[in-house]
Amino acid sequence: MAQSTGNGHFCALVDASDCFDPASAEAAGVDLARVLWVRCGVRRQLKPLEQAFKAADILLHNGGFGIIAVDLGHIDERHIRRVPLTTWFRFARVVEKKPIALVFLTNCPVGCAGLTLAMKPAVPRWKRTGHVDAQPCGLSLGEMEFEIEIEQSRLGKPVQSARPKFTAASLWA
Amino acid sequence: MLFGCIHVPDFPVQAALRLDPAARYRENAYAVMDGPESLLKIFACNETARRAGITPGMTKAQAEAAPQVKLCKRVLQQEESAHSALLDCGYGFSPRVESTAPGTVTMDLTGTARLLGTEQKIGEQLAGRAESCGFQVNVALAANPDAAMHAARGFRGITVIPPGDEARRLALLPIEVLEPPEEVLDTLDSWGIRDFQALAALPVVPLTQRLGQQGLQLQRQARGGMWRELVPAEPAIVFREDMELEEPVELLEPLAFILNRLLEQVTARLLARSLATDHVQIDLVLEGHTDRQIRTGPKPSAPALEYQRTLKLPVPTQENKVLLKLLQLDLAEHPPQAPVKKLMVEAFPAHVQFGQGGLFQPVAPEPAKLEITMARLRAVVGDKDEQGCGRVGFPKLVDTHSPDTFQVLPFDAGKKLLKPRTPASSAPRFALRRFRPPLEARVGLSRAVPVAVAFNNKKTTVTNASGPWRNSGSWWDKAEEWQREEWDVELRVDDSTGVYRIFQELPSGRWFVEGTYD
Repeated sequence: MAQSTGNGHFCALVDASDCFDPASAEAAGVDLARVLWVRCGVRRQLKPLEQAFKAADILLHNGGFGIIAVDLGHIDERHIRRVPLTTWFRFARVVEKKPIALVFLTNCPVGCAGLTLAMKPAVPRWKRTGHVDAQPCGLSLGEMEFEIEIEQSRLGKPVQSARPKFTAASLWA
Repeated sequence: MLFGCIHVPDFPVQAALRLDPAARYRENAYAVMDGPESLLKIFACNETARRAGITPGMTKAQAEAAPQVKLCKRVLQQEESAHSALLDCGYGFSPRVESTAPGTVTMDLTGTARLLGTEQKIGEQLAGRAESCGFQVNVALAANPDAAMHAARGFRGITVIPPGDEARRLALLPIEVLEPPEEVLDTLDSWGIRDFQALAALPVVPLTQRLGQQGLQLQRQARGGMWRELVPAEPAIVFREDMELEEPVELLEPLAFILNRLLEQVTARLLARSLATDHVQIDLVLEGHTDRQIRTGPKPSAPALEYQRTLKLPVPTQENKVLLKLLQLDLAEHPPQAPVKKLMVEAFPAHVQFGQGGLFQPVAPEPAKLEITMARLRAVVGDKDEQGCGRVGFPKLVDTHSPDTFQVLPFDAGKKLLKPRTPASSAPRFALRRFRPPLEARVGLSRAVPVAVAFNNKKTTVTNASGPWRNSGSWWDKAEEWQREEWDVELRVDDSTGVYRIFQELPSGRWFVEGTYD
């Protein structure tokens, strides 16, 4: 999102669990003025997962976004697995002819994806800060190491831009 | 010199029917009634009604005896709105427009030939514009305002009178077109003077001796040579249309149909003045009922009889379809609590905004379409959360150290977004995924350091911890003050680990899990 907004594109984030932190995003370089944030809530008529799918559908038909990210990271895996394959297929068909990247963040793989990346649990790297009276631990969270694996790719050419391992710094580094 | 006049025949009738798309003004018989409820009388009627025997002054009962005559009550506000719409038609062609009479406007069209074309073409354009506002009009163009006005009142369709030919063209018009006082009309009638030609032929001195200056003025008008200055009306900046319904409307679908009609008129008027709107307000008058049943408990509060909704757009628009869609979505989300018996739509004018897109600029969402999309999204996820913060919009951080403080703003199309910000460094950063609201936790401490955290029915062990990081602020405002100690902890649950941020609220001492780093 930082790169996309940095290039002048608009992005949309459908936040099924309302967990997006604007401060983290801004520190990471995301231009918040170009991010449309849709915060799903607890409503009697629709569950958050249903709201997220409906919202993604509406955004796809609007157009004008470089990335539409649907964050289902906090939704229970059991609910994701119950989503019929036709739903994923429909999204794939709609996005096929549009210059939009539709990204789903989930706890389990889903069908009909053009590219599926599996993110392994991050490994934190703690730094010694020296003993300070106010911080008896003397530790600070410096970096986190991430590992990505390409589980599935329907793209014609190999994905060269995804690094299998990379390190992300903390927001306060 | 060239002057144009638009005249709406049977103006009270056309004003009442203007917003009814099913009305056939020329084919069907319509009459407008006025007066107290107990003594309604015919105030005006159209030509078809007159042929059916309806005349002004008849009582309602007499009028109802005539077959197939549709009766409606006179509403002054509708006539005012109709006349404003007519003035707006005129302003689309000239900045000098006179409000000559209800249903009649005269405008100075001198020098507009190069812009608008020949007189005939101008007349056709005026008639077309008036038709788009819901009127069947007569249009006349002449070298002086009065000749144009009398021709518009007397002749049907479009009339063009060449300069110097006024007397000949107006000759056969009946004297009533001059609208002389009753006694003067009786006198002229007794003399056998029935048309303009006969009045124009009368000798001047005897006419003046018998009818005074008034008679002389009437004769000059009949000859078509009378010159007067136009008295331009102040252009109104109010674009309002209202409609009183015969039967209260309960459902949103028929209400939307009526709203569409009002919005079409409002946007047509804005278009005539080359204006747009970014702020629309609708006022609904609801039908209230008094419950007559005997009640033993406390009396419930009566429903509000007036209901208002306001729509604000990021970019001014002239498209009534966009406004209608947004109003429909808004009313579906916030429906009125009772049937609607009267609607008023007011659009606040704004200048049309122009933008020049670049060939190499990235595609951006269209503002009007995005506004509709955001309204649709709000219908799905809700308008605001429990803290009153919007659920759909563009996030903006608030200038404070208070954690998780932000605003969710509507799209600001006017904001310059031409130069995207580049991040300070291209290195990736991990972010915090928040729990909203933070999850209450029980934390076990050893030498003031967390060693175990229980939350969300899970018991976890702390393998690494960093903190405490103290955070506080707004000490001057008891309502806004916060004090907390934050910890970054690595928690082990079964055979997996995760890094979380937890905090202890001071002075209550309660622990919460704020989010997870990812």
